[in-house]
Amino acid sequence: MSEPESIVTLSGINKTFFRGKEPIHVLENLALDVPGGSFEALMGPSGSGKSTLLNLIAGLDRPTSGSVRVAGADLTKLSDGQLAKWRSQTIGFVFQSFNLIPVLTAAQNVELPLLLTQLSGPERKKHVETALRIVGLEDRMDHYPRQLSGGQEQRVAIARAIVNDPKIIVADEPTGDLDRKSADDVLTLLDRLNKELHKTIFMVTHDPACAERASVRRRLDKGALQ
Amino acid sequence: MTLLIVVLIVLLLPFVLLVLMKAVPFEYNARSLVVRKVTTLATALGIALVVFVFAGALMLGDISRVLAAAGRDDTVIIMRKGSDSELTGAIANEHLGLFRGPAQVSQAGGVIGEIVVVVIADHADGSGSSNVLVRGTPPEGIAFRPEIKIISGRAPRPGTNEAIVGTAIAGRFKGLSAGQSLDLRRNRPLIVVGEFSAGGASYESEVWGDLDYIRNALGRQAIVSSARVRLNHPEDFDAYRQAIETDKRYSMKVMRESDYFEKQSAQTATFLKVMGLIIAVLFSLAAMIGAAITMNGAVAHRSREIGTLRALGFSRLAILTSFLAEAIVLAVIGGVIGSALVLVLSVFVSFPIINFQTFSEIVFRFHATPAVFAKALVFSGGMGLIGGLVPAIRASRVSPIEAMRG
Amino acid sequence: MNVTTYPSRNLFRRRGRTILTIIAVMLAVLIFCAIRTFIVAFNAQADDAAADRIATRHKVSITMQLPKHYIDDLREVPGVKAATWANWFAAKDPKERIPFFAGFAVDHNSWFDVEDDMQVSPEMLAAWKQTANGAILGDSLAKTFNLQVGSDVVITSDIYPGEWQFKVVGIYTPLRKTVDRNIFLFRWDFLNNDPRTVYSKEHIGWMVSRITDSIHSADISKRIDQKFDLQDDQTMTVSERAFALGFVGGLAAVLKALNVVSLVILLIVTLILANTVSMSVRERTHEYGVLRAIGFPPGQVRNFILGESLLIALAGGVAGVGLVELVINHALGPMMEANMSGVFQHFFTPRWVLAEALAAAAALGLVAGGLPARFASRLKITDALRRVD
Repeated sequence: MSEPESIVTLSGINKTFFRGKEPIHVLENLALDVPGGSFEALMGPSGSGKSTLLNLIAGLDRPTSGSVRVAGADLTKLSDGQLAKWRSQTIGFVFQSFNLIPVLTAAQNVELPLLLTQLSGPERKKHVETALRIVGLEDRMDHYPRQLSGGQEQRVAIARAIVNDPKIIVADEPTGDLDRKSADDVLTLLDRLNKELHKTIFMVTHDPACAERASVRRRLDKGALQ
Repeated sequence: MTLLIVVLIVLLLPFVLLVLMKAVPFEYNARSLVVRKVTTLATALGIALVVFVFAGALMLGDISRVLAAAGRDDTVIIMRKGSDSELTGAIANEHLGLFRGPAQVSQAGGVIGEIVVVVIADHADGSGSSNVLVRGTPPEGIAFRPEIKIISGRAPRPGTNEAIVGTAIAGRFKGLSAGQSLDLRRNRPLIVVGEFSAGGASYESEVWGDLDYIRNALGRQAIVSSARVRLNHPEDFDAYRQAIETDKRYSMKVMRESDYFEKQSAQTATFLKVMGLIIAVLFSLAAMIGAAITMNGAVAHRSREIGTLRALGFSRLAILTSFLAEAIVLAVIGGVIGSALVLVLSVFVSFPIINFQTFSEIVFRFHATPAVFAKALVFSGGMGLIGGLVPAIRASRVSPIEAMRG
Repeated sequence: MNVTTYPSRNLFRRRGRTILTIIAVMLAVLIFCAIRTFIVAFNAQADDAAADRIATRHKVSITMQLPKHYIDDLREVPGVKAATWANWFAAKDPKERIPFFAGFAVDHNSWFDVEDDMQVSPEMLAAWKQTANGAILGDSLAKTFNLQVGSDVVITSDIYPGEWQFKVVGIYTPLRKTVDRNIFLFRWDFLNNDPRTVYSKEHIGWMVSRITDSIHSADISKRIDQKFDLQDDQTMTVSERAFALGFVGGLAAVLKALNVVSLVILLIVTLILANTVSMSVRERTHEYGVLRAIGFPPGQVRNFILGESLLIALAGGVAGVGLVELVINHALGPMMEANMSGVFQHFFTPRWVLAEALAAAAALGLVAGGLPARFASRLKITDALRRVD
């Protein structure tokens, strides 16, 4: 069996922030290759730049220098507007604090990314139902986030992340705010998405039990990847 | 005045309490105002605008006081009984001598009779026309009023068609600048030879010419509109009035000049003041809503801090007082900004209004006194107090448990 | 769901704040409409004046009179269908039941032919011819003075001394909304024959003419003034509208100031709305970051915020307009018209003022939301996501 193509290729990545006048080199000469269909976990101490790296892969930020190729697109050559469009089609986000919009129902939250497409109302409804069915929450579609448990909220967030059929799911500490049982449910779900729906998953976590569930584990320490 | 003091005391109360109770250090509230700069500024600006309108209304209402200040206590104006203004009066010429009779009349000051009429004049900027008051005065008419100063050009020669124009209307109308002329009637012009000031009195909105020339031009040779008499002492007024008003040979009304000016503008002043205050009150409702929204937001934003303060032992009253004080300070900042705007208004803006009794134009300058500023600041503080009351109460009801919220 | 769902649902997030802001906008609209209505009412009488009537007065001053024989010359001018005259009486009520009302001494033979939007019966006109001190009153004035046809009435004057006694021979009814219903009319010859008018015998105040067609009113006016140009008392002929405005003209500055004031309240409320929107934006910065991450372009985020601001402004605008319609047109207006009809015959907020107010509300919604919207849309996504309120 031939090696699957890289879906993420980073090379020569430098990212420098400035605190006042002082430069802080968060990432230095970093390279990364993620094969398509992989389930990757990135660990590392706080402040190591995990989130920064995640932001670069997801097209939320630009490197100070270096090249970023994700899902066939050279991100450094895309304008902000093109990046936004690319993100909506390619990336699904899962955040630590769920980030559902409290004034919208579960179904409406999941429908949100679809407003960026040309789909009609009924078509959107079909996609939403499918996504919610995958995460097992179609019976809660008209509930508001405050009526859901933490684990359920995160699963709705995952439904939102996949409703646009993205190539990559990017997860930043997806189980950070959950209890053991809910965390387990979420990880099982991610696993399914990876194995059954062939979604590449790039997950940042500091929880070893969480990282266990991934197929590839990397460690980021002081800007260097191991 | 007492209302002012009472409100001021109520406003200072929270600050006094804060100091007495050694309560929440006010730096805490002051810092909050600085940190949320945008919100503080937006709210303060809203209040500033309301204070500006309020102070404007106050100053407009002051117009009758300003005009009254021009009248002297020892000068009396005589008009035909039943007339409300010089414009509609008519006194026969021969009566002037009789007015001089009673003992109270100052021999130095004497009696003068004048004719008063309104004339249509076009605005110099072409924006239409208004009525201008023209006064025909005898040769001793200018000297009768020591406050009159010729500030440019010269005094008119008696018996000629020369005239001087008051500084408030000079240049505002076609024909009312030096060298120009205003027609009283066909071939009867008044030629402007100078400009005069009168210490802010309504005379400054008038054109003065020779009594006989103007009377003849209008075909009213035998009469004057009004007479002015200088008394020996202001206290002589009652005796003099008695003498003139009970005289059976004519039917006259005697008033102190200051009272006359005040009454003249009373209708206009009341109208403006009432209108202005109604507007200011309605505006203040909006400003108080703005203050309430801001303070409510502050309370919600800082509920964790408040919970912490309560957990540390600060009493409900302390929290309430400190937030009330914050609201008042916020509003007073607006009051200061508004007062600065008012200062600009008083320096740069003059305002023509119509005198309802004579339908002539009076040009009014906004006169910003310390009293106006004091009232404006107290008014702003009051808005802060009322607007901030409910949010302050809400702040005091925050429980210490809020401090634990993640 | 569509793109308006999110902005509209957001209004319920801080219900109290939204409601207070809507009330503020409503208040602003109310004040704005009230001031505009006041200005409109002041000009209303002038605006609605008949197009085919012109007034001729002394060129130099409204306080100067014209010789009576001028009316004969006026009636000969081509284009003048009918003409009448009036003298200002400066009437006052000795019992002070009304602060101000207009009193005119008029030509009883021609007045109602020219001023044909005041309606009287032929019997009243006949009675007037028979009664030297007869007076015809407006229906509102008659009600205030509690008079019927046949009653006696006494009034005083600012110009002429003493009491003046009249007998009411008629009451006129208005045929147009803007006709002053508080006018006191009596016979000019009664005034002229009275010894108290010794200084102004055979003089009239001004003349009013009905012309053959209003298109030529400027030409006819010029013709009239030319006729008297070489006399000592020159005339100025203007449309009845301009004549009425001449009295109001001195209030131009006050009306202009009121206009400014009506804009100031809009400015104040724009600040309040901008503050509210800013506060909401600041509280939701993180959420906007999430929306941007998902792929919503900055313009869309900006539109969400503008939409919210616009919704609040329009809610307040509609509520305000509804309140104005209720308070002014159904309560305050009729009261003003009844009690103050000397000044306000017509106190009513016209549709265009209401439309203006709604448009102003929408405009202030966009302006107030503009800055916070721009700020939110320009945030770096990573900064927005990092903020935790």
